[in-house]
Amino acid sequence: MAAISVHQFAKCITCHAWSPDHSMVALCPNSDEVHIYRKSQDKWERVHVLQKHDQIVSGIDWSARSNRIVTVSHDRNSYVWNQEAAEWVPTLVILRLNRAALCVQWSPRENKFAVGSGAKTVCICYYEQENNWWVSKLIRKRHNSSVTGVAWHPNNILLATTSTDGKCRVFSTFIKGVDTRDSRTGSSSDAKFGEQIVQLDLSFSWAFGVKWSPSGNTLAYVGHNSMIYFVDDVGPSPLAQNVAFRDLPLRDVLFVSERMVIGVGFDCSPMVFAADGSGIWSFIRFLGERKTSSSSARYGSQFSEAFGKLYGQSKQGVGNDAIEPSRTRGGIHENCINAIAPLTEDGDSKVTRFSTSGLDGKIVIWDLKNQEDLSVYL
Amino acid sequence: MAGTKEFVEADNAEAIITRIEHKSRKIESLLKQHKPIEALKTALEGSPPNTRDERCKSANWIVVHRAMMAIKDVDSLFSSLDPEYYDILMKYLYRGLSTGDRPTCDQCLRIHEKLTERAGLGCILRSLADTVNTV
Repeated sequence: MAAISVHQFAKCITCHAWSPDHSMVALCPNSDEVHIYRKSQDKWERVHVLQKHDQIVSGIDWSARSNRIVTVSHDRNSYVWNQEAAEWVPTLVILRLNRAALCVQWSPRENKFAVGSGAKTVCICYYEQENNWWVSKLIRKRHNSSVTGVAWHPNNILLATTSTDGKCRVFSTFIKGVDTRDSRTGSSSDAKFGEQIVQLDLSFSWAFGVKWSPSGNTLAYVGHNSMIYFVDDVGPSPLAQNVAFRDLPLRDVLFVSERMVIGVGFDCSPMVFAADGSGIWSFIRFLGERKTSSSSARYGSQFSEAFGKLYGQSKQGVGNDAIEPSRTRGGIHENCINAIAPLTEDGDSKVTRFSTSGLDGKIVIWDLKNQEDLSVYL
Repeated sequence: MAGTKEFVEADNAEAIITRIEHKSRKIESLLKQHKPIEALKTALEGSPPNTRDERCKSANWIVVHRAMMAIKDVDSLFSSLDPEYYDILMKYLYRGLSTGDRPTCDQCLRIHEKLTERAGLGCILRSLADTVNTV
């Protein structure tokens, strides 16, 4: 079984984030508060309540090295929380938005964070030592609709965004005095702050959940039309692949390796996508299915069966493809999954564990280690 | 500038209409040979979702409708219809349902049931969520 831990924290969870050592989880129970739980002797105990926002908290990110929490909310504000003694102390970040903030992510070096908003803008926030103040710099007039997702490239400069105008864009976020020249690489080396590197126009409906692969070579995002998009060579001439699948749309994605992506969304069960040897991405299977894969003989048959589900990929598979009505509703999540977070071990570039949270108020931890048919993609 | 663009669009529309007329003749001859599935494939091929010209869309809908109503055995339709036609067929099924015409809706619902079994809910989502490539 791929799910190793299930816990009901609230009626509904809008977002969650893990502490650097994964012993604590910060989550928003669909309210203006952020609750921090710590696991002690197999029981989750609420240790802190972060109370400063006036409206639903839409994004939380916990930085891995500096142990800081950033939260954004529909009240258009953002707070950076620092732990001082036993308390979490908030610092207000003035985002200068006139609509709700929707998502947030720390940059890989944790000296900046990006906020997507309903005001068609992206805020890049950084700390100014002299003023003891977080400054927000805006990327404006680039998006035609709400920004639903932000993702940092490992180089700390490039930022990918998805928007409800259906487009995925990549920007340079080089800030003088914060970023150094040598951290700039490749084609982005002469881009100024806010310069658009590429605009990907693949989806005809809302786009969500953008992520970079661990190396930063591949970009994945999803559309609200049950499609997932994979883009290689992000730059002047990107190589794009569209994968249509037969189930409900996704909300968020996560790269667990260069060749495997987990997608979560309205189908309540995580979907596995993987690239074969020639780099062609396809849907492999649902992760929540109760299937045992032990012998290598089974492995083969299971493999072709899973490929048959991807219509458009193999014709002979479609012939015996039957609907399994009990599959989705008997799953581990009972409602739409809207967030997925990696649980990366220190010094390990591969993600074998991750957590999902959704509208059913559960956080589920998944482990890919005992999934033999997937190990070839890890 | 806007004038030339409109002109190009109109010119393009004429070409599309001519192509649909040609398609229509081919479909009639396929139906005479009792090949309704081939006729439906021909009707769906080269549908003009990119143009905004309503005349083209209506003209193509008429030929798709003609071929669709000739389908008697829905099960055998899906044993020979390739998955690449699923998304575009779903769009035309919803166009058929929007007409409110009794026999058309009956036929569309019959095909819709089988198509959803085949192509899943994702196919419905793709036809409903796409506001750019309409049929």
